[in-house]
Amino acid sequence: MPDLIDGSENVTVHGIFNWILLLVIFSIITVIGNNLGYKHPMTDSLVGMGILSLITLAGVWLERYLPFNVSSILYISIFGIILAFPGMPTSDFVLYYVSKVELLSIVTVFLAYVGIGMGKSWDEFKALGWRAVVITILVIAATYYGAAIVAHIVLVLTGVPAV
Amino acid sequence: MKIPNKDGQVEHIYREKTDKRILKKNPWRDYKLHGTVLVLVIIAEIIGTIKIPLAKDVAITIMPLIYTIILGLVFYLAKPVTWIQRKQARIAEGAMMLFIGVLIAKLAVSSGQSISLIFQMGPALILQELGHLATILVLPIALLLGFKKESIGMTNSIGREPNVAVVVDKYGFNSPESRGVFAIFIIGTVIGTIFISFLVTFSLSFIPLHPYAFAMASGVGSASMNAAAIGPTLAAFPGLETQIEAFAGFSNLLSFCVGIYIVIFVALPLTEKMYNWLEPKIGRDPIVPEKEDE
Repeated sequence: MPDLIDGSENVTVHGIFNWILLLVIFSIITVIGNNLGYKHPMTDSLVGMGILSLITLAGVWLERYLPFNVSSILYISIFGIILAFPGMPTSDFVLYYVSKVELLSIVTVFLAYVGIGMGKSWDEFKALGWRAVVITILVIAATYYGAAIVAHIVLVLTGVPAV
Repeated sequence: MKIPNKDGQVEHIYREKTDKRILKKNPWRDYKLHGTVLVLVIIAEIIGTIKIPLAKDVAITIMPLIYTIILGLVFYLAKPVTWIQRKQARIAEGAMMLFIGVLIAKLAVSSGQSISLIFQMGPALILQELGHLATILVLPIALLLGFKKESIGMTNSIGREPNVAVVVDKYGFNSPESRGVFAIFIIGTVIGTIFISFLVTFSLSFIPLHPYAFAMASGVGSASMNAAAIGPTLAAFPGLETQIEAFAGFSNLLSFCVGIYIVIFVALPLTEKMYNWLEPKIGRDPIVPEKEDE
């Protein structure tokens, strides 16, 4: 069985320290990739990654600190949206520096970790038959096309011009 | 392994997994892991995007994100690479749960920037969440392949962490339904990200849908699949980066917030109804594809 759910511990200063260092490492790798792939200046994109890391840190910290049963993804999204909201005093600053970090640079680094992490499931994966592989592929395709086709129909019906 | 309990522990799987890995060991100290990731990223960015033209105006795009994910898996599996082992994979998995935040933050900034556009496209964004119910259409195929009650777990949703928790919660850990959703979870973990990036690349070339529809559809409820799906979409529509990131991010957020309730209240009951109706008609002799619970 996949090891999905483990015990959890409380937030400690030590834990926050670990998060910060991990985010620093992640930022550095992303900035290097961003520079190689898109030629963005390193200092600007480092500031951009700093902003994104701070939002993340605030989100994961609030998730554990506040008593609500709400995921950090929600906090992070709300912070990101508010900071970039047109008219907010922070928006020009945030938009300028965050735009120096390409989404694809973040994704490329993120998926390297995903690739190494998913190796762990390889033996379990091999134990499953081809039938289950067929079903998984169809399920993923169905989710994607289901959403894409519904979205397309609604966009056309509400008269959104194809850009 | 703990089983999620009734009082809404569903969303905490990410948190517990992250905490377990991140708070205990000093994950930043694993220079073998981070060094390897840096090398993979440098290799990937140097190779860059490769376009393979298939026909006039039709090309398959292979992006650096594909190289890093495949090389990451290869490094873990390859025997000569002795410095990437199970320990590194566990740390990578825990770290990944934290790094999702950075990805979400970037998408959220794009969403904030385009907030008025998001309100204009509200109906499409909300209704496309119901499009995920299309997974139930796979149920007859699962039955024809010889699955029994496993098929309920397999086809009610895309089978990521929150969905696994819902199914385990409803049917119990050792039920056939849970075995089904575990199978989808494991296979999705290993091939899902790679598969969806090719699926999206292919669809962008051959299926003429609205660019925003592609953007919204990439929010399938799994951060890594979302990431892999946005890549080719961004590349296909230059000049629309901010809008595509905004829709992809917001749709992922919606999948996360309401998707789970759609599964609990609509998808699972509907899958069960379909199963009870179709199984006597097209069900095959049971195959036992997986070993019994250890």
